[in-house]
Amino acid sequence: MLKALDGDLDSLNAVEDRVLRSKAKAALVKAKKDPSGYKAQFLTSASTDLNPIIEAKKTVAKIETLNSKIKKLSMISFPGIILNDDVELFLQVSPVNWYSFAGWLKSEPSLAFDSLQCQTGFDVGDEHLEARYNLHSMSHDHYTEIRIRVSRKEPCIPSVEKVWRIADWFERETYDMLGIDFSGHRDLRRILLPEDWEGWPLRKDYQVQETYHGIVIPKMKEGWE
Amino acid sequence: MGIVHGEEMVLNIGPQHPATHGVLRLQVKTDGEIVSQITPYLGYLHRCFEKHCENVTYEQVLPYTDRCDYLASMTMNFGYVVAMEDLLEIKVNSRVEHIRVVMAELQRIASHLLGLGAFGLDIGAFTPFLHMLRDRERILDLFEMTCGARLLYNYMWIGGLSHDLPIGFVESTYKFLDYFEPKIDEFVDLLVHNKIFVERTADIGVMPQDVAISYGVTGPNLRASGLKWDLRRNDPYSIYNKFDFEIPVGEGGKGTVGDCWDRFYVRVLEMKESIKIVRQALASMPKEGDVHQSLPKKIKPPIKSIYRRTESPRGDLGYYIESDGSNIPYRLKMRSPAFTALSVIDEIAAGWLLSDVLAILGSLDIVLGEIDR
Repeated sequence: MLKALDGDLDSLNAVEDRVLRSKAKAALVKAKKDPSGYKAQFLTSASTDLNPIIEAKKTVAKIETLNSKIKKLSMISFPGIILNDDVELFLQVSPVNWYSFAGWLKSEPSLAFDSLQCQTGFDVGDEHLEARYNLHSMSHDHYTEIRIRVSRKEPCIPSVEKVWRIADWFERETYDMLGIDFSGHRDLRRILLPEDWEGWPLRKDYQVQETYHGIVIPKMKEGWE
Repeated sequence: MGIVHGEEMVLNIGPQHPATHGVLRLQVKTDGEIVSQITPYLGYLHRCFEKHCENVTYEQVLPYTDRCDYLASMTMNFGYVVAMEDLLEIKVNSRVEHIRVVMAELQRIASHLLGLGAFGLDIGAFTPFLHMLRDRERILDLFEMTCGARLLYNYMWIGGLSHDLPIGFVESTYKFLDYFEPKIDEFVDLLVHNKIFVERTADIGVMPQDVAISYGVTGPNLRASGLKWDLRRNDPYSIYNKFDFEIPVGEGGKGTVGDCWDRFYVRVLEMKESIKIVRQALASMPKEGDVHQSLPKKIKPPIKSIYRRTESPRGDLGYYIESDGSNIPYRLKMRSPAFTALSVIDEIAAGWLLSDVLAILGSLDIVLGEIDR
């Protein structure tokens, strides 16, 4: 295996079993791609069998009590990160420490938010944009919603794609639609629109560009014709 | 001695390719025959669903949801009306709930039939595809009886249904179920234990449970990785808590848990469970009840946001709706299950042969209309 990492594939190719051979090669490609074991650090969370835990869990914690619990727990390591006093429906989080806070939400055993359900970009109007994260814990079966508000002029939120892998594409979509810049994202490009599209379509003050590659874009019609 | 790279080559699969199930471009980097990296390029079918929603009223959003996942329009409607009824705090009567469940489960069977058939087709099994389309046709005939449309139904409305069941629908459905139940065993003989098929799918593209959770993969793909997670059971909506059904999970019948074969077989078993649910729902359906009873006169939800998930044939279908008190949504986001399922492809398909990539892509059962929206 180590030989193969240095480029000597002959010993690997000599393996008779097709399945074993391709598995070894798959491991090899991953090792080459990811020399520091960088991905391994966030994929090892659910090594325990979750099925019996899900079976046993019948009562669902109310989101209100859960949110106040999160707020209380966060006071120790992240004082002042939760901005709103009334945490009945959601948690308003400051963008400054968001990356390490997200990592804590995932690793803290009594919370264990291991799955990011949905991320919504949001134009609040006035001077702000918002990103909303719907989190869910498979093992505890509880939900919460986190909102991060940034200014429209400098919309910058730390990326959490290293915490939840799906955030990679969710953040690209939010960037595509609202132009929120996720700092630390390794591959922040437009995902649904073409690379050279101008403007951020889901902002409320969006103006459609007039031409695209020489093609005139039809204006939106008002009322019935 | 440094790492010696073989001859590296970049290949484009798609945008027009039968195995991508729509218009999707996969940029594949290969090292000899082994795939080292896959970069999907989306957006060829982007129709600005979310932007449109901000310009039309809540009722007018419904036909758009049909067109997102055009292979499972009923369940797309279902997810939206469940979210809207939660937002408006409408309760629909028992007959409506039963009809909805019947439709959603029939749709699940139809969608799985096409998904499984196309998966077989991708790796060279042509005959099962025709068998499955033949049976899917019968379900489409049932849908045609109820609302006239065969693909895009717009059948479930906020607070009710567009039509009541026509005369003879229940009998036809029973007849279909009696016909279809033995056919599943035929599929199992034809494809599931077929030696060529097993060789192409078992042990290929294994998706471990933690990878699936971290990538937000849900639905049959997550269950194939061994996790018993189904929103119909774990976060019941509508009247699913009344019915008795099993949640099939992947057990690694021919290889490792979470391989392509498991993802295939879980869907086969799910069709059996759907039949069970349809039978129970038809048996307990009340005879009386107006399907237009709770239709709201005008839809103006309170200022509020809601995130609601339902189980579509492809996984957790979520709608995030923010209302500003008017009759137009301020923001509506659809969390698409196929979008998250496609994002995992680089992780699980890197390192396999090029021909295996198509098997893995087929096993994820993606629909591009829903990914691009």
